Amino acid sequence: MRSPREKRPAGQKQYYRRKKVCKFCVERIDSINYKDVKLLSQFVPERAKIMPRRISGVCSPHQRLLSDAIKKARNIALLPFATE
Amino acid sequence: MRNYEIMFIVNPNAVEDEIDKINAQLEAVITSGGGQIQKIEKMGKRRLAYEVDRLREGYYVLFATAANGDIVKECERRLRVMDAVIKYITVRVDDDVRRLEKIRKYRQKRAARRGSGAAASASGQSIEEAMQ
Repeated sequence: MRSPREKRPAGQKQYYRRKKVCKFCVERIDSINYKDVKLLSQFVPERAKIMPRRISGVCSPHQRLLSDAIKKARNIALLPFATE
Repeated sequence: MRNYEIMFIVNPNAVEDEIDKINAQLEAVITSGGGQIQKIEKMGKRRLAYEVDRLREGYYVLFATAANGDIVKECERRLRVMDAVIKYITVRVDDDVRRLEKIRKYRQKRAARRGSGAAASASGQSIEEAMQ
């Protein structure tokens, strides 16, 4: 995440970007289990790809656990590899 | 001994007896090998995320066990051989359990420390937590 800069060059549109926070840190979800389809499916958009960190805002330790869990879930047909 | 979860999918057209037979067989393999069964859960029929053997549905069964590699190997071999089983996966869970334990302990310790040191304001704490 880029840090909010104090000064911007004149003419550049200024907007406030909300700082993204990791869902798992905030809600204190410790276990990211491959059986928890409801939780995992929040991080697999339409195309069934794993949502990148820059969009979801998940921190890297949790993203690692999350992607492992999603891959396990795919193996046992709980989540799709790709949408047909 | 390690903790494993074995999850497999049975053909939804199989009769209930058949599923019970598979469960009994696996149970026998695990207990005779010296493992313990912690849980057998029939998760029931659910839609598969993708087609497997031209099937769109499957009957999920979950075994939670404490076993060693040889037992797991034998279970997997049996599952592979059984016609009714269309898919299986074995996941080691003790690492995860240990990690959770560690996090829990850490939280407890933090909570204890926070209880004694009342200097930090409540709002300051919540921001600190959010940053973590």
